[in-house]
Amino acid sequence: MSVDLISPPPNLTKEETLYLSQQAPHILQPSIAATLPWPLSVLFGNETQDTWGTYENVYLACLRTGDDKSARLLLDRLVARFGESNERVMAFKGMWAESKAETEQDCIKVLDEYKAELEKEPTNFPVQKRRIALLKSMGRIPEAITQLVEFLNSSPTDGEAWSELAELYVSQSDFERAIFCLEEIILILPHAWNVHARLAEVTFLYGQSIFSSNPGEAIRAMAESMRRYCRSIELCDNYLRGYYGLKLVTKRLLEVLPSAPKSASNTTDSAFSDLPLPSVQIVERLNEKSTERLANIVRRNAAAERGWDGYDRAEVIAARELLNREEKHVER
Amino acid sequence: MAQPLVQTIHRDPALFYWILLPITVVMILTGVLRHYATVLLQSTPKKQPLPKIRENRSLMQGVNLRTNANHISSTSFQARKSYLVSGFKSGAFLADPEARGKPPANPMSDPAMMEGMMSMMKGNVAMMVPQTLIMGWINAFFSGYVIMKLPFPLTPQFKAMLQSGVGTRDLDVRWVSSLSWYFLTLFGLQPVYNLILGNDNSANQVAAQMAQMNPGAAMGPNNDPDKLFLSEAENLEVIEHDYILNGIEERLLASLG
Repeated sequence: MSVDLISPPPNLTKEETLYLSQQAPHILQPSIAATLPWPLSVLFGNETQDTWGTYENVYLACLRTGDDKSARLLLDRLVARFGESNERVMAFKGMWAESKAETEQDCIKVLDEYKAELEKEPTNFPVQKRRIALLKSMGRIPEAITQLVEFLNSSPTDGEAWSELAELYVSQSDFERAIFCLEEIILILPHAWNVHARLAEVTFLYGQSIFSSNPGEAIRAMAESMRRYCRSIELCDNYLRGYYGLKLVTKRLLEVLPSAPKSASNTTDSAFSDLPLPSVQIVERLNEKSTERLANIVRRNAAAERGWDGYDRAEVIAARELLNREEKHVER
Repeated sequence: MAQPLVQTIHRDPALFYWILLPITVVMILTGVLRHYATVLLQSTPKKQPLPKIRENRSLMQGVNLRTNANHISSTSFQARKSYLVSGFKSGAFLADPEARGKPPANPMSDPAMMEGMMSMMKGNVAMMVPQTLIMGWINAFFSGYVIMKLPFPLTPQFKAMLQSGVGTRDLDVRWVSSLSWYFLTLFGLQPVYNLILGNDNSANQVAAQMAQMNPGAAMGPNNDPDKLFLSEAENLEVIEHDYILNGIEERLLASLG
């Protein structure tokens, strides 16, 4: 297993997290330099810029795996190095308190601490983000959304916060707002194919949700979603999520496009682009291509070919499932 | 055919050990010392208040929208454009809406500015003091020595550069005086510092002085945020929107073959 200690991928699996947290004793070993008297310890200390990134990541992994002893030691070292008033350290200390909080009351206590801190120093972004995360994990979604909106008002170029807000809106089925947030991320990172795919997903969900009330607009949303998926594939070849979505959305479009109401081609007061609806042939060809590519990916991944083994296991299984369902359908 | 006359000067080898080497070593060590002094003297950058952060980031949002407008649909773009343009024009994002239209404040009266000036002064002192001291040291002890001979010939124009402090007209250009050696090390040690201290060191004072030549460039951006907002609003208004998803299906099908 290869997990980068300095910058682990954002979505660690359980095994990877466990592996990271097991590195803790090794990292916590006191170096010889630390035992030397003052001027020598500075001269021979081998602190690099990566040292503290490693500490942070292992600390987070330890919190996740419940290795509180190591986590506390790592946190103490971070505090000793950067001081109590460092913003990041404050957020990490908050996480420690959160992990220790067992009842609702404890959580509220931590929240109050955050609040007091933010009143003292309103620019403390790490603590502000912790507060929002805690609100979210306590299930107080509307409050978290209010806080996030306030946060984004003062820091509108924070892609992380926008994506968090988008996910919160999706969880509330407020797809229109989620689409807005995802577009905001695309303005910040125009070539993030995963964000393009996510935007396509949410657009598709939106189209599905309004289909019964406003089929014309729903079809336009699906066409937009299809184009978004195309863009994400254009940006990243063999992007499984992109092909999976493209296949789903084209299949749905093939069902509804021939019977599209007139209002679907009305481009003036649509919330989506003024591009004309795609022709049925194009959608058909896209559907064929995506099926072909998806089958290709699944086959080569199953054969463990070189360069094809980086896919998420769950995603590959889902893709195979989708393909199998289709095949059965054809047989019947 | 007479050979061109080669000047020979019999130098005491002690000149090498007691002048050339000390000057070089002292110059390197001062550079290292200066680097660490600058690091120590640097004050931590002052935190910006929240409205100022908001102002900067809103401007960045405008810039982002302008550069990446083609990646979102025209409806979304128009909505964002009208929001940002009206906000920019009315000064809704300004950190200090009252100061709109007033001339920029005198930098001397602003404590934040004073702090910046202070740090610059500190840097200056760290640069100037060692330079003066070493120059004085070399002048007092080693002036007038010829300490080395370059292994290659040079044109007479280099005489002023290589033989400062030695007023002998007929001396071959290849001979280098101690004061000139000081200057050569002063200007030429940057690669050595890079080797010892890493790339972003502040050991070389020549580079630091270059940076000081145009302090206006560093201060320019915070001149008048209102003007920046207005010009950004203008930029946004004239932008032509060309949606990137236009014709994407054909593009993708063509690339997939």
